[in-house]
Amino acid sequence: MAQRAVWLISHEPGTPLCGTVRFSRRYPTVEKRARVFNGTSYVPIPEDGPFLKALLFELRLLDDDKDFVESRDSCSHINKTSVYGLLVGGGELWPVVAFLKNNMIYACVPLVEQTLSPRPPLISISGISQSFELLFGIQDFLHLGQKNDTELNTKLNQLPDLLLQACPFGTLLDANLQNSLDSINFASVTHPQKQPAWKVGTYKGKPQVSISITEKVKSMQYDKQDIADTWQVVGAVTCKCDLEGIMPNVTISLSLPTNGSPLQDILVHPCVTSLDSAILTSSSIDAMDDSAFSGPYKFPFTPPLESFNLCYYTSQVPVPPILGFYQMKEEEIQVKITVNLKLHESVKNNFEFCEARIPFYNRGPITHVEYKVSFGQLEVFREKSLLIWIIGQKFPKSMEISLSGTVTFGAKSHEKQPFDEICIGGTAYLKLHFKILDYTLTGCYADQHSVQVFASGKPKISTHRKLISSDYYIWNSKAPAPITYGSLLLISHCFRDIHRLLYHP
Amino acid sequence: MGPLSRETWAQRLGAFRASPSAFMAGPEGEDLGRDLLNELRSEKLSEQTKVSLLALSLEYPAQLWPDAAAAEAAATSLLDTLVLLPPRPSALRRPLLLAATTALAAGNALGPTSGASRRLLPLLLGLASGRDLGRGFGPASEQRPLQATACECLRELESCKPGLLGGCLGLLRSLLGQEGPVQPLSLLLALALRNTLVIQARARAGLQGLLVAGDMPAAGGPWNWTLAEEGDANLQPQAPSWPAAEEEECGLAVLEPSPEEARELRAAVAQLLDTSYLLTPVAQAQLLWLLGWALRGLRGQPPVLFKPQLVRLLGTAQLTLLHAVLALKAAFGEALFTAQDEALLLRRLTLAAQHPALPLPAHLFYLHCLLNFPENWPLGPTGEETAPLLLGPRLCRGLLPSLLHDPSALLAHLHLLCLLCAEDEEKEEKGQDWCPRHYLGELLAGLRQRAALHGGPRALATLCFQASYLVVHCLATQPTVLTPLTHGLARLYRARPALAPHFVDLLDRVGPELGEPLRTALRQEVVSRPGRDEALRWHLQILSKVADGKAPSATLGFLRAAAAHCTDWGLQQALLQVCRALLRAGVGEGLADLLQALARHLEDPDGRDHARLYYILLAHLAGPKLGVALGPSLAAPALTSSLVAENQGFAAVLMVQEAPAPMRLSVGPRRAAGPVPVLQLQVEVLEPLYSVELRFRVEGQLYAPLGAVHVPCLLPGRPCRPLHLPLQPRRPAPAQLAVRALFATPAGLTCHAHLPPLPVNFADLFLPFPRAPDGDKQGFFEELWDSCLPEGAESRLWCPLGPQGLEALVARHLDPFVVVAQPPTSYHVAIRLPPASRLLLRLEAAQGDGVPVALRTDDWAVLPLAGDYLRGLSAAV
Repeated sequence: MAQRAVWLISHEPGTPLCGTVRFSRRYPTVEKRARVFNGTSYVPIPEDGPFLKALLFELRLLDDDKDFVESRDSCSHINKTSVYGLLVGGGELWPVVAFLKNNMIYACVPLVEQTLSPRPPLISISGISQSFELLFGIQDFLHLGQKNDTELNTKLNQLPDLLLQACPFGTLLDANLQNSLDSINFASVTHPQKQPAWKVGTYKGKPQVSISITEKVKSMQYDKQDIADTWQVVGAVTCKCDLEGIMPNVTISLSLPTNGSPLQDILVHPCVTSLDSAILTSSSIDAMDDSAFSGPYKFPFTPPLESFNLCYYTSQVPVPPILGFYQMKEEEIQVKITVNLKLHESVKNNFEFCEARIPFYNRGPITHVEYKVSFGQLEVFREKSLLIWIIGQKFPKSMEISLSGTVTFGAKSHEKQPFDEICIGGTAYLKLHFKILDYTLTGCYADQHSVQVFASGKPKISTHRKLISSDYYIWNSKAPAPITYGSLLLISHCFRDIHRLLYHP
Repeated sequence: MGPLSRETWAQRLGAFRASPSAFMAGPEGEDLGRDLLNELRSEKLSEQTKVSLLALSLEYPAQLWPDAAAAEAAATSLLDTLVLLPPRPSALRRPLLLAATTALAAGNALGPTSGASRRLLPLLLGLASGRDLGRGFGPASEQRPLQATACECLRELESCKPGLLGGCLGLLRSLLGQEGPVQPLSLLLALALRNTLVIQARARAGLQGLLVAGDMPAAGGPWNWTLAEEGDANLQPQAPSWPAAEEEECGLAVLEPSPEEARELRAAVAQLLDTSYLLTPVAQAQLLWLLGWALRGLRGQPPVLFKPQLVRLLGTAQLTLLHAVLALKAAFGEALFTAQDEALLLRRLTLAAQHPALPLPAHLFYLHCLLNFPENWPLGPTGEETAPLLLGPRLCRGLLPSLLHDPSALLAHLHLLCLLCAEDEEKEEKGQDWCPRHYLGELLAGLRQRAALHGGPRALATLCFQASYLVVHCLATQPTVLTPLTHGLARLYRARPALAPHFVDLLDRVGPELGEPLRTALRQEVVSRPGRDEALRWHLQILSKVADGKAPSATLGFLRAAAAHCTDWGLQQALLQVCRALLRAGVGEGLADLLQALARHLEDPDGRDHARLYYILLAHLAGPKLGVALGPSLAAPALTSSLVAENQGFAAVLMVQEAPAPMRLSVGPRRAAGPVPVLQLQVEVLEPLYSVELRFRVEGQLYAPLGAVHVPCLLPGRPCRPLHLPLQPRRPAPAQLAVRALFATPAGLTCHAHLPPLPVNFADLFLPFPRAPDGDKQGFFEELWDSCLPEGAESRLWCPLGPQGLEALVARHLDPFVVVAQPPTSYHVAIRLPPASRLLLRLEAAQGDGVPVALRTDDWAVLPLAGDYLRGLSAAV
């Protein structure tokens, strides 16, 4: 269970190599074992240059995909995971775990403790999940609070030292690199016995516990007879516990109001010490009924020093917070659009912001717009072919607003307008962006009084809630739109219009 | 080289990292390892620079110190540097320990004969056990991190040399029970325990009290290498890490510990598991893998010890933890997971595979785990991805593909959908709220629609064809899926002929279920639209793939129409490729006319030549030979240029290939009869050969040119009657025959081989005289005898006899030529030597060891040959 090498590569389209190796680390003692374990199927770790080239080719990140290349484009070259085989130096280096995130490619090669021919299934390779954790850990470290290139460079420069702590010989000891950074700084503190490895020091100061619930709501709305709208709430509970003592125990209970939507698909942080079986089994896979467990959801845990995600959940609320339709019709070089949005009466009508972005893909820049809005104002980004309808802090009393207009486009220039593979022809969407503070759609809240802390001193407990939109799409109902299986289910069809009825009782 | 500044080092390290091989090949390469070790003791360099030097040695020890001796020396130097550090806090101690460990382990220097190993191991063990090592090991503030580092170093050494710490198990247990750092000690103990169990099980030995043997090796005392020596065989690729494999297969013999040992073992494992919550999640996962590994080979060790950990682990979203649980599931199956537990695990896995809070790579890995789920009672064949039995349509609902997915996510989810469709057919369930096949059809149509976009990225087209391939792979037997797929693909071709390379690739890879109908559909698609077209080259590419014997007239009609538009070389070659495909398919009628027309009218001379060649081939070669001639080149099957490959194919088939000799030829017994000497040849072949022609050439023109010998077929192991080779000597002399063989192989190639030369001996030329008239043999002989002189020659010589005597000698060698015999003492022999010589022998009054021979010949030149022959006779017996 170890890694042979790890790389960070920045993806730089348009440059000659299309990328630069920003960081790499090899583990020769693991490599030595790989040579023995893999036997004749052993392929050594290449130098950075050849690796970069082979990886970008396999990930289709080189700029040349004009021609059909069999080793990349063949129909039988199927990749169903983030694990690849790279052709380097006459052999195939496998398994290479790699993914692209924020223009950075994270890659590593785990040790496989057996021959590679035939390829063992990934599930049987203990190093695979470790590869992912290492790369996720590095990704979290690089992007936590990082705002610009200078900060990124600073963090990249810290990586060699951090990996010397967190992964000295290729076997990952802690995926939380921030923790390793702290442990370098905490090195002078004498450790008491039975110190958890995931907690490098102890807190000294005023005890306080902060709990914040962030719900993201996503939706796909079609306004069509044969396709059901879908929406889902995803919640994350973040905690920061500043408590004295090595192993303070805390229990946080999440509660729902009487008409709240039950939490499902709950995933907890590893520091949670026990889980009620009702929490473990409450799942969105099952059909919902009244007997669904509706809390309180108790999470006993021993907190780490840093801020952490206590749990994630999903929930199926009865209606989407904003229901709308979008109609777009093409007429030669211009399109006619009509948008209607309605806020549900149960939702708190007090936004930090609310706007609808209406992009026009695979067209030229906007040359002319004529429009009428019943509320808010419209901003036009001509070069980006984008309209933003700024709705503001509140919906009007009617809770319903509309926009109609005609948009004219200039000639399309290929360099500036990237190709969008979904929004072709009439297929188009508008995307809602909004945020409501001190509110959750499920009604979920953490009661200050229900937080139990077993540590010295009475801590100050603060709780926060917010709802934000994420992937909130309203598709043009006058053209085909991409659908998910959930939208086609007959069972949904029976309830197809219930939420629309709820909006128009 | 003198001391280098910080900047110089930074430059040097940068150059090295950019390409280690290039740097090492350069002028500075050789000194780098030595300089690095020296600089570590330099007082001018900052600690930070020294740490970066050590970091380099951690990554590239093999380049810096390429052999075991250099690695040993480097480790010694690093240890010396460590000891010489002043007793104040230093950032160097930790990396020095890591570097020394790396140098020894990666440089194959670790072992009982290595001085550095003998220093490093007790030092590490001392540090790990928290003993005060006195001055030189820094201030107290560094003890704790060094203790952890020492554990890590020991663990790495144990990983590279299993069994190294077999003698320290008891010590490690007691350290874990005291104040030692939990995580490093836990992982070290778990690894050492696992390795010890594996080694002991293989050696069929017990634990021999290793778990309780308490104390550490005395300082300066010898290290116990016994287990490590045995363990050397253990770092072999024979042990798959996935515990589901049968114990026997992975070489893990079943160990049966005594009740006492079993109790200690349980206590050790429980001790590790009880404190496992103090470990980071990734370390917990390692611990579970190691302990699962350790316990699975043990009889009477129920895995219930793991049970208390499971609920806690199942609730997390941590990839390594869930993976470790799956490993336990695979290792222990029903012994640890009841049917309900299995169902719960499967639900959590399903949930994790689609949970919006988790990143895509995690989703895809969980999906992979689902399709490879270690079921308690798997039904399907092992080694193939299947949907577990408990994973019904309801559970899968959120796991189905959508056009909004990334390519790899779409393919992963599509695979699951295909598996469900396959099951769906088996079950034939009706009236459900779910019709996966319909959804599959819609999805594929959506993919084709995107692939059809002109100017769209190739990735979209590739995805569409990969999805189609996956569907055919899983659902080859379902016409309800394949028929619309075929039609959809044909429509896709109509919309975007530029995807022809993808179609050709797909046809190359799918079986006949889709291949046959798709060929037909594409052929119809192409030939139904003759005439000038932007896409002509794609049409021709497709036709060269799909043209076969069916409906040739439509294809030929298309080609005739297309020929007028094939104005450039590339198009003409593409057109000729289709002709070639038709030739192979055996289309004759109409094709000859087309080829003749092309041979006359194509603009490009190369094109005309090709057309003429095809025409000649069509006119002259029978079907099978034509097929071979045009088939893929055996000489260079992987060449990308079809033209080169084709020419090589022709060259291979139409020209004669030089080949190693596939047969052995030898001269059989003589057959002294008839008007001319005839060699009897015996043939053995190593492989089937057809139409064999053996050609002989006499060196020195001693004989008239020899005719070839023909054999229709020679098969290995099947006796062949002797081949007769008549000789027409111009002079009665022995000779060498050079032999060449021409033959056809089963692959249709015509080959040519040189065989070893065949000797024709003097005796091979002997012929008897026509029979003498009865009763006057003596007179006949005397007449011959007298006729030799005066032109000829006479000689006497002594012919040695072997133990068997004269009678046997004559019977063996001269019998056909004896005219008068008075056994056992006197023989008169007359030999005819073509073309016109005679050799007469009188062998009379034999004595014990030889016989005097009087010989006469009418040809002076024969005399020495006869002499040699006679003298060699006894030896030849």
